Amino acid sequence: MDTPALSIQNLTFRYRPDGPWVVDLPGLTLARGEQVLLRAASGAGKSTLLQLIAGLLDPASGRVLVGGQDVHATRGAARDALRGQSIGMIFQTFNLLQGFSAQENVLAALMFSSIPRAEHAARASGLLRTLGIDRPDAPAEELSVGQQQRVAVARAVACRPMLVLADEPTASLDPETADGAMRLIQETCRSEGAALLCVSHDPRLAERFTRHEDWRGLARAGGGGGGAA
Amino acid sequence: MAMTDMTIVARSLSLRRFSTATTALMVAVAVALLLTLLSLRDAARKSFERGPGTMHLLVSADTGPLPSVLNSIFYARAPARPITWARYLSLTDATPDNPRRLPLDFAVPVQQGDNYQGWPTLATTREFFDRFQPDPDAERDPSRRWALAAGRFFEKPFEVVVGAKAAAGAGLRVGETIYLTHGTGNSRSGAGGMDDHGHVHREYGFTVVGILAPTGSAHDRALFTDLIGSWILHAHDRREREGAKGLTSEADLTDADRLITGIYVRVRTRPGSDASSAIGPVFEMIRRQGDLTVANPADQIRQLFVIVSNVDQVFVAMSVIVLISSGLAIMLAMVNSMESRRRQIAVLRVLGAGRGRIFSLIVTEAAIIGAIGAAAGIVLAFMGVQVAGAVLKARLGLLLDATIPLDALLPVAAGTIILAALAGLAPGVSAYRTSVARNLRPLG
Repeated sequence: MDTPALSIQNLTFRYRPDGPWVVDLPGLTLARGEQVLLRAASGAGKSTLLQLIAGLLDPASGRVLVGGQDVHATRGAARDALRGQSIGMIFQTFNLLQGFSAQENVLAALMFSSIPRAEHAARASGLLRTLGIDRPDAPAEELSVGQQQRVAVARAVACRPMLVLADEPTASLDPETADGAMRLIQETCRSEGAALLCVSHDPRLAERFTRHEDWRGLARAGGGGGGAA
Repeated sequence: MAMTDMTIVARSLSLRRFSTATTALMVAVAVALLLTLLSLRDAARKSFERGPGTMHLLVSADTGPLPSVLNSIFYARAPARPITWARYLSLTDATPDNPRRLPLDFAVPVQQGDNYQGWPTLATTREFFDRFQPDPDAERDPSRRWALAAGRFFEKPFEVVVGAKAAAGAGLRVGETIYLTHGTGNSRSGAGGMDDHGHVHREYGFTVVGILAPTGSAHDRALFTDLIGSWILHAHDRREREGAKGLTSEADLTDADRLITGIYVRVRTRPGSDASSAIGPVFEMIRRQGDLTVANPADQIRQLFVIVSNVDQVFVAMSVIVLISSGLAIMLAMVNSMESRRRQIAVLRVLGAGRGRIFSLIVTEAAIIGAIGAAAGIVLAFMGVQVAGAVLKARLGLLLDATIPLDALLPVAAGTIILAALAGLAPGVSAYRTSVARNLRPLG
């Protein structure tokens, strides 16, 4: 059997030693290439969960395995390398690098990947072309919202990640655009062979996923709901 | 083309181009100030060290060795007291029956007091060009000997050879006839000279017969003429006062007219050697005679630099402080920019950049501001030394061949870049500690 793309085991986290538990998750597993929608209300702690998965926060207890590698068993540069090579992230506000072109935003992600440098330019151009970016050299901030979203998707999958984490990817889009954007994310992840964990409180996304998880159902009693501090 | 850390740094600098430019300009001004000071100090030192040329000792009737050196070698003022020709002959008498004869290689008589448009004149003998050389290394390196850019050396009275700077400054060419000014008239260096009347000797024209190639010494700004012509000039003044008519000739000279103001002395040495164990004894022998001032120019210049170096160290220290302040400016500019770039740092962290790499990006950015400032500062310094050289010449008549010394340029440039990198440490640490969670909001 293939190693899961993501395996979370008894994960707990709180921002202060005497504070409430923000994440208290007994388990969650995503198979390779699987796409899961994790529904959660605003402030439930879903962004904190994504940062724990990406190794940007350290849990109080529990393990996160991405492609079988324990994210928190590594430290420093090794953990950063694991994140750069195995995990892509898509944000509600895209978080593109201001002052950098669309192409450079994708190239920036490739800098930290395991893909040979000689292939970076072709990989970035190919992804942007596939995603319909007709002005790859334009500064990211000059692109339309839809185009920025596409650049963010291209950047997230550029390193051929095992797992893409999408944090409220449609929250700032109108319903019509949101549907198209979500379809784009899902199709791109599928074509790149990446599993997708999408956390959102947007009920419109439910019909696009065959597997749904609910934050309240997953979390132990009393866990979750602290929100990212 | 793949993206590199330098692409990120360059883009970051370009996004804050105003801040980058102003900070780099501050560094440039500080670097230029320091390099200009160092180069002027270096030029002054070289000029002074080159000044004595191949002479070992300077004999004059000045009040002390340092004024003697400044007056007779660097043309600061015309020496106030003369030496009679008879005294010169007795001092340099090398006949075997002279019990006080000195083991001299040369003893070149010089006389100052006249000038042309403020450029000092040195009346001397042909030995000045044939035996004395303007560069201490001339014995080893023939290219450092006297050389003519045009014409020939003087051969008889009323011929004049012009130093390179004086020729350029006064616009003199071979074949021109000039009239010398005696004393303070239109003169900077004639003040307080042998005779302080200050008037132009219209009766005697001097023909420019040669222009010297530059030597890098103070002699570049002087004119050189035959001693007898100068004596005739001054004898003519005396005879006019006495009511004599007509032009004066060599036959009219009296012992009172035959005066000099200094003697350039070189003690005998082995061929190819500049040093001689006889320098000290000869110095003592002349000193003991009591009526003359004897100076070892190299010693006097060293002592002068000991005195001056205290002041010049203060200036250098001040410009180093200005440079350190510019480093602080880099730090402040980058610390202030940190707030607006935390999101970019957080995004780079999410993409896989480690804390160490973020830290090095910031330190590199600071070092590049330092490098830009250092490069611009070097360009400014090149202009600065030209301006400072021109001002020193115009205000003080001081002629310095100022170029930025390579042994100062490289350490200053490297030091500036290191200082800038150090200035990047605080913002680098701030970037290192940037919280990804806090700076990627709104996240839900």
